[in-house]
Amino acid sequence: MLLEEEAHTAARLKVAMQFAPPPADYLEKIRRRFAERLSKVAAHPERVPIELDGRKLEARLGGTVLAAALRNGVRLMHVCGARTLCATCRIKLDSGAENLAPMETLEKVSLRYHLSVSSRTRLACQARVLGPIELESVFPLCGDLPGE
Amino acid sequence: MLTAERNPSSASAPPLADTQNESTQDESRLLEVLRSGDQSAANEFHDRYAARIYRYIRNLLSSAVEADAEDLLQDTFIALAEALPYFRAQSSLFTFACAIAHRKVQSFIRVRARRARLAPEVYAAERDSAPERHVDNDVKRALGALVPEYREVLFLKYVEDASVAEIATVLTISEHSVESRLARARRALKKRLEEK
Repeated sequence: MLLEEEAHTAARLKVAMQFAPPPADYLEKIRRRFAERLSKVAAHPERVPIELDGRKLEARLGGTVLAAALRNGVRLMHVCGARTLCATCRIKLDSGAENLAPMETLEKVSLRYHLSVSSRTRLACQARVLGPIELESVFPLCGDLPGE
Repeated sequence: MLTAERNPSSASAPPLADTQNESTQDESRLLEVLRSGDQSAANEFHDRYAARIYRYIRNLLSSAVEADAEDLLQDTFIALAEALPYFRAQSSLFTFACAIAHRKVQSFIRVRARRARLAPEVYAAERDSAPERHVDNDVKRALGALVPEYREVLFLKYVEDASVAEIATVLTISEHSVESRLARARRALKKRLEEK
C-alpha cells in the first residue's frame, strides 16, 4: 500500500517537475563556452581556478592560497610574513576543502592558539591548492596602495 | 542512478537496454576525453546533461525568473570545466555536475537574500512581476509552497531516481540526513496536497 502510494507520488512529481529547456541559441552559447573553457583548462593543467571573496583567481597547482592571492593582486593580510605566527591570513572555506593539502603541525598549532577550531578555517600562507576551492578571508583585505 | 538520461522524450537518451556496466565504461571514456579538452566530448556531455541540469536548477529556484536559471546553468558548466581535472570519479558525472549546480544555486539564493535586505523595494517589484510558476495543477502548487531543500530532495529522489548515497554526495550531507529530509519533504508535500 505504502509502495503503491510512493509510486503514485513519484509519477505525479515527474510530471509536475518538468520544465521546457532554455532557448536553443542560449544552449549553443553555453556549449561553445564550455568547450572553450575545457580546452583552456586542458592546455594549462598547472593553473587552478579559485574564488576568494567572490573574485576569481588563478592559483598554481601546489602553491599556497596566499601566494595565489598576492600574484593576482589581492592584498590578503599576512602580518607575520607567512610564518604561521599571526593567523591574520586566516581563510574560511565555502567549498572544496578536500582540494587543499592536509594541515601540518605548525598550522594546526597556530589555529588552535588563535582559537580557530573550525574545520573550515585554514591559514592562507600554509594551505596548498590541489584543486578548485571557494573561500572567504576572515580579516578585511588590505586596501589598494596609493597610486595603484 | 544518476548516470544516463531517463527522460524518454529526450532525443539524446541512450537506449534503455544499456547495462550498468556499459554506462560506467561509457562515462569513464567520456571523462577521459573531456579532460583532454576534446570538443566533440564537450558537445556530447552538453547534449546529454544540459537539459537535466537546467531542470534541476529550475526546480530549486522558486521565484527566480528564467534568465537567472539560464545564467546559473552557464556558471555551472564553466565551473564544471574547471573542476573536471580534479574529479575523482567516485560518483557519476551527473552527480558531480548536480553538486556544482547545488552550490551555485545556494550561493545565488544567499546573494539574492542579502540584496533583498538592502533594497527590498527593487526585489519586491521583481518578485511581483516574475511569472508565477506552479500554477497548472495541485502538485505544482504544493511544490511551489515547499522550501527549496524539500523540492530539491524530492526532485533527485523521484525525478532523477537517485539513490540516497548519490543525493548525499550532491548535497554534501550524510545519508541519514538525506533520509530524514526526504521523510520531512514527503510529509510536507502530503500536508500541502491535503490543504487544498
